[in-house]
Amino acid sequence: MNRRRWLIKLLLAALAHRTGRTLLLLSVLAMASSLATALGVVSLSMGKRVSEEVRKYGANLVVVPAAARLEVGSGGLNFGAISDPAYLDQGRVEKALASGGLKAERSFHLRGALRMKDADVLVEGVNFADVRRLFPWWQLRGGWPGPGETVVGSDLAQRLKLKAGDTVELTGTAQTLKLKVSGVVVTGGEEDDLFFLALPELQGALGLPGQLTEVRLLVSAEGDTLKDKAAALQPLLPDAKVREVRQIARTSEGLLAKVKLLMTLVTAVVLISAGSSVTGTMSTTVLERSREIGLMKAIGGTRWEVLLIFCGEALLLGVVGGVVGYLLGSGIAVFITRTVFSAAPEFIPWLSAVSLAVSLFLALLGSVGPMISVFKLDPVRSLRGE
Amino acid sequence: MFAAKLLPQLFAFFGIAAVVLRGYPERRRPLAVSVGAGFAVGAAVAFFLFRNFPGSFPFELIRTVVGASFFLFWGIAVTALYRSSERALPDASGRSSRLDAVAAPVIALGAAVTAGALAACRFSGNDAPLGPVPALVLLLVIGALLAAAGFFLEAKLPEALTVSRAGTLGGVVALLLLSSSYLVRLDLFSPLSMKVMKGCHDFVHQFMESVLIPDHLFVRPQIWGYIGILFSKEVGFWGGMVIWFTPFLLVAIAVRFELLPSVGHIRQGAQRRKLLAAAIRQRRMKLIVPLLSLVLMAGAAYRSSFPDVEYWDPKPIPVAADPSGDVFIPRKGGEVDLSDGKLHKYLLKGGAREVRFFVMLTPTGKLTVDLDACAICKPDGYGQGEGSVICYYCKTLIPLETVGKPGGCNPVPVAFSEKPDGVHINGVTLVNAWSTTVQSTGAKKEGGK
Amino acid sequence: MTVPTIQTAGLTKGYGDICALKPLDLQVAEGEWLSVMGHSGSGKSTLMNLVGGLDRPSGGSLSVGGQDLSALSEDGLARFRREFVGIIFQQHHLVPYLSAVENVMLSQYFHSVPDEAEARLALERVGLGHRLKNRPGELSGGEQQRVCIARAIINSPKLLLGDEPTGNLDHKSTVMVLELLKELRAEDRFTVVLVTHNEEVAAWGDRTIYLDDGVLVREERLRS
Ligand SMILES: Nc1ncnc2c1ncn2[C@@H]1O[C@H](COP(=O)(O)OP(=O)(O)OP(=O)(O)O)[C@@H](O)[C@H]1O
Ligand SMILES: [Mg+2]
Repeated sequence: MNRRRWLIKLLLAALAHRTGRTLLLLSVLAMASSLATALGVVSLSMGKRVSEEVRKYGANLVVVPAAARLEVGSGGLNFGAISDPAYLDQGRVEKALASGGLKAERSFHLRGALRMKDADVLVEGVNFADVRRLFPWWQLRGGWPGPGETVVGSDLAQRLKLKAGDTVELTGTAQTLKLKVSGVVVTGGEEDDLFFLALPELQGALGLPGQLTEVRLLVSAEGDTLKDKAAALQPLLPDAKVREVRQIARTSEGLLAKVKLLMTLVTAVVLISAGSSVTGTMSTTVLERSREIGLMKAIGGTRWEVLLIFCGEALLLGVVGGVVGYLLGSGIAVFITRTVFSAAPEFIPWLSAVSLAVSLFLALLGSVGPMISVFKLDPVRSLRGE
Repeated sequence: MFAAKLLPQLFAFFGIAAVVLRGYPERRRPLAVSVGAGFAVGAAVAFFLFRNFPGSFPFELIRTVVGASFFLFWGIAVTALYRSSERALPDASGRSSRLDAVAAPVIALGAAVTAGALAACRFSGNDAPLGPVPALVLLLVIGALLAAAGFFLEAKLPEALTVSRAGTLGGVVALLLLSSSYLVRLDLFSPLSMKVMKGCHDFVHQFMESVLIPDHLFVRPQIWGYIGILFSKEVGFWGGMVIWFTPFLLVAIAVRFELLPSVGHIRQGAQRRKLLAAAIRQRRMKLIVPLLSLVLMAGAAYRSSFPDVEYWDPKPIPVAADPSGDVFIPRKGGEVDLSDGKLHKYLLKGGAREVRFFVMLTPTGKLTVDLDACAICKPDGYGQGEGSVICYYCKTLIPLETVGKPGGCNPVPVAFSEKPDGVHINGVTLVNAWSTTVQSTGAKKEGGK
Repeated sequence: MTVPTIQTAGLTKGYGDICALKPLDLQVAEGEWLSVMGHSGSGKSTLMNLVGGLDRPSGGSLSVGGQDLSALSEDGLARFRREFVGIIFQQHHLVPYLSAVENVMLSQYFHSVPDEAEARLALERVGLGHRLKNRPGELSGGEQQRVCIARAIINSPKLLLGDEPTGNLDHKSTVMVLELLKELRAEDRFTVVLVTHNEEVAAWGDRTIYLDDGVLVREERLRS
């Protein structure tokens, strides 16, 4: 028989012989590594979500009607929702921007619902020229629309089985539009669920000439100056709110930070206690098995070979603990993100390596002391039962 | 400083000496001598080539030799795997020892000559501290010393560490590739992955055009995403990796599958087992050199992806177009002197777009204005090394002479008019050239993901 | 005359102040069966441990099978033990969670590679062909001692050491074990050194030495 296979068989037999202790060690290791995994999954996937939402927004300042609350993000990461339809006056905003001397890329948005056949669809009116500049990540299959044409978000297009070249009829409060679909857009964000038309057309259809729901500004400034710019712009727009996009995300970031801190603390405590309990369990095991160790040395095992057997046990426990810990940790992460962020976490396969590393590290570090005594143990004394 | 730069080549040569001696222990002394001599010959030949063929010919030649050795090794590795499960017959015919008598000196000499040439390449640039003759003498001394060191230190290695025939060649080839990866002009991994990428690209293109619908609207974005993967640089990288590492893995596998000696005739169980254990241990020791070679190859690939060369890469100077759309770069202004033969980068901001371009005087004595981007790669820009500029994206070296000519990964040239006071460029031309270039290279490829 | 399997000259072993073995000169020829007797604390086990390479002498020279044991490193001693010596203990010292075959295979593992077929054969040789898969806890004392013997001889040692191997056995088992040893020795021609308190057991050997307080006080040759 192969030496390695025999060794593994020996290890398994030894571990199975002490079922209780093996299970105890396994659960300790799995617990520690699962917490580390959960921490990793939560902070990575939620952190990425937050920053993605912010980035997807494209602009760094947002002007919304004072009465309205702003909607940013999608899914569980809704930072707010529109409560009342309220509008900005396009002319006033333009004037304010001009008089404020603010150099910014801007994009005007009007969002509303139009009826298509017998269902309402969300429609956003934009200036496509602005969109092209401010949201360069929009991927358009087909062409940018001309007058009387529209662009459909990819998810919506899939649902409604629309493709470029089709025509749709959208009915608003003021008039009905017959539009040709010029292309399908993929943004990876909530825009994939919308129709886009030229702003004046939507304003006409909704009977809201010159009205907007949102203005997005891309001010070339960072940090504090951005805050200053927002503050400077605010008095010029008394019936509107000027916000930094970062600020909108901040609540979510804060929550994430708190959860992360809590999890880090718990993980640290668990890691330390897990390490010490591994040491304790391993020491008693080695003490109990000292005769066996002595025997192995007496029948010709070198110190290293005997050490390998015991390290192998720790290693085996570490690997199994790590695998179990990864699965368990992913479960914990799902639970946390569901309850705290009401969003699904990402599946991050490479964290299994981290989980494995944590578990192995604990298992090996915890057994350093016992391993030294295994290495040093004198066969004569141990066989005599000292 | 310069000595440190030469170190990889010398280390590789020392390693080659050690591996060859370990691989053919029956003829250590003559092999050590021929290794030392080969190094000297290689260095001398390289200096001769540099003197008589200025330009890139000597480098091409050396690179071809190293590349050929790699593909030769591919063949040997496949053969080794094929023959691994044959039971080695007691060598009655003497065939293998006669083969060794030829192979050992050929491998030793070939490797040493190449190693010598590689070391000599370090002295080819303008920044070499020594003239050719002192450099050659120095290399001769170093070569002799290293061969002697290899001879004595190899004897100190544990007896049990043995190398298979294919493993010896693999170790030698890995060391040569590592050595050449330190010289950007001799690098092999980047060209290899580039070739793989191009091949894949062409294949997909033809396949798509002939079999599948060309640019069809119904093909869903996800599918385009998958097709995009085939076009991406990753394919070249991973394909290159496979070609790069596989032969060494093959050799390792061949060793792993070597048959153990037949022990059925030994009656005593303990003795039989002992023989088996010893054979297994020996087989495991034979794995060490192929596995080390894998590490060396990884090092070479890493070196090639992140070359440790400082490129001249100035921070782009912002420029603006005057109301008539004219961008003017003075011939001499501030610290900039356009005719110093160096790369001068500029940044033109037009609205949301930024255009990076550079002006330089080519060795042919003409000024040229080019985008800091080429027609095929992502616009990562260029840096200037000795005698060439390098595309940061695909690591292609473009000789300075050809900068200003369009095509391939050359920087995209821009029309300009040369006046005594400086260079005038039409801003619109510049922006348009940038947009079309970047749209077709940057945006589209990224769009696939 | 070949080299004696065991040759000591002025061999001593002290534990702190206690001198467990006074300078001892002993020669054991190849293939000989030596019995060691003496009252408790006279240094018999100490001698066995030294000869078996489990312990290092405090002084004097000790060579076993032509090897100078005091020159060997710790791991060298381990290698010497697995290739040259088979040891049988009074308390058996079998690994509790391994079956009889696996206990034998453990010895093979440290020596070279485990070989189950050979281990089975060895157990059949000691008459345990029907209890291969039983763990030590399920075997009687005599059976355990036979597993121990199988483990000791599996690597074809040149020297078999037994420290009161029959100490825990009744008369019938003792005779069985000794018969077995005799048979095996006849086939494999190893040297045997047995420590015993029992005159009857000692009488199986070719020669008996008597230790008292670490000194060889008497020597009795029964056969040659
Ligand atoms: N590790 C030790 N430390 C101190 N003294 C020891 C040690 N081992 C043995 N001794 C002492 O050495 C002497 C010889 O011990 P040894 O075990 O060789 O006796 P023994 O002849 O085998 O006795 P028994 O027949 O009871 O097994 C005893 O006096 C004992 O106390
Ligand atoms: Mg005793």
